[in-house]
Amino acid sequence: MRQPGAYSGLLSGGISGKTGPHLLPLARIKKIMKKSNDDVKMISGEAPIVFSKACELFIEELTKRSWNMTMQAKRRTLHKEDVASAVVATDIFDFLVPIVSGDSDEAADGSEKKEEI
Amino acid sequence: MGDEQADRLLPIANVGRIMKQILPPSAKVSKEAKQRMQECASEFISFVTCEASDRCHKENRKTVNGDDIYWALCSLGLDHHAEATGKYLHKYREFERERALQNKASTFTDEGNSETLNSEELRPTNKPSSLEITIMDRR
Repeated sequence: MRQPGAYSGLLSGGISGKTGPHLLPLARIKKIMKKSNDDVKMISGEAPIVFSKACELFIEELTKRSWNMTMQAKRRTLHKEDVASAVVATDIFDFLVPIVSGDSDEAADGSEKKEEI
Repeated sequence: MGDEQADRLLPIANVGRIMKQILPPSAKVSKEAKQRMQECASEFISFVTCEASDRCHKENRKTVNGDDIYWALCSLGLDHHAEATGKYLHKYREFERERALQNKASTFTDEGNSETLNSEELRPTNKPSSLEITIMDRR
């Protein structure tokens, strides 16, 4: 049985039976890493563990920024358009623009329609 | 969505849980927003892995390790992620070293006179645990 021990203090989440002390499944992270690039042949045991933490921090940051957009629109439900707006507004998230580009267009179309009325 | 599609994304329940823990209790998140976050997280892993893998390739190494991921986060401008991730990696390596020591010590105690382990063998092997980007010894 895994013991959280020394590094559990850095974890912000709880302990899941399936993922051990990590919030994200390590096997899935490893699969995504392998599919990212044909050159990725071997991955050390610690790499998915490091990514589980990095992903958690990434999701937290993008969520916080998206929520800021939600609040600016005076809503209490975070929508995908808020995620798109947060990505577009943050330079270091430029690599995500193709992922959210459809959502940005929808949000823009919505605002344009409102202006026409 | 087939199995292949599901395999390239982190589970929506896990992603949703992380989102909720950072939001106010009264906040709600649409299903589409969680799905978009799943895709963004996968793209994040791919993007950083590619950068880390390129570094390995240039240094003629085959295995992507935690230091490579730390380096990639720094080089992609994700400095504050890199700092926290680096600390986590450091703690994890310490934890693993201690656990390995405990396992060896308990094996020695259990097996009594079957093996003679000297103090050198009980010490962990020296792995580069420095968080500095430039340190990777070539052997």
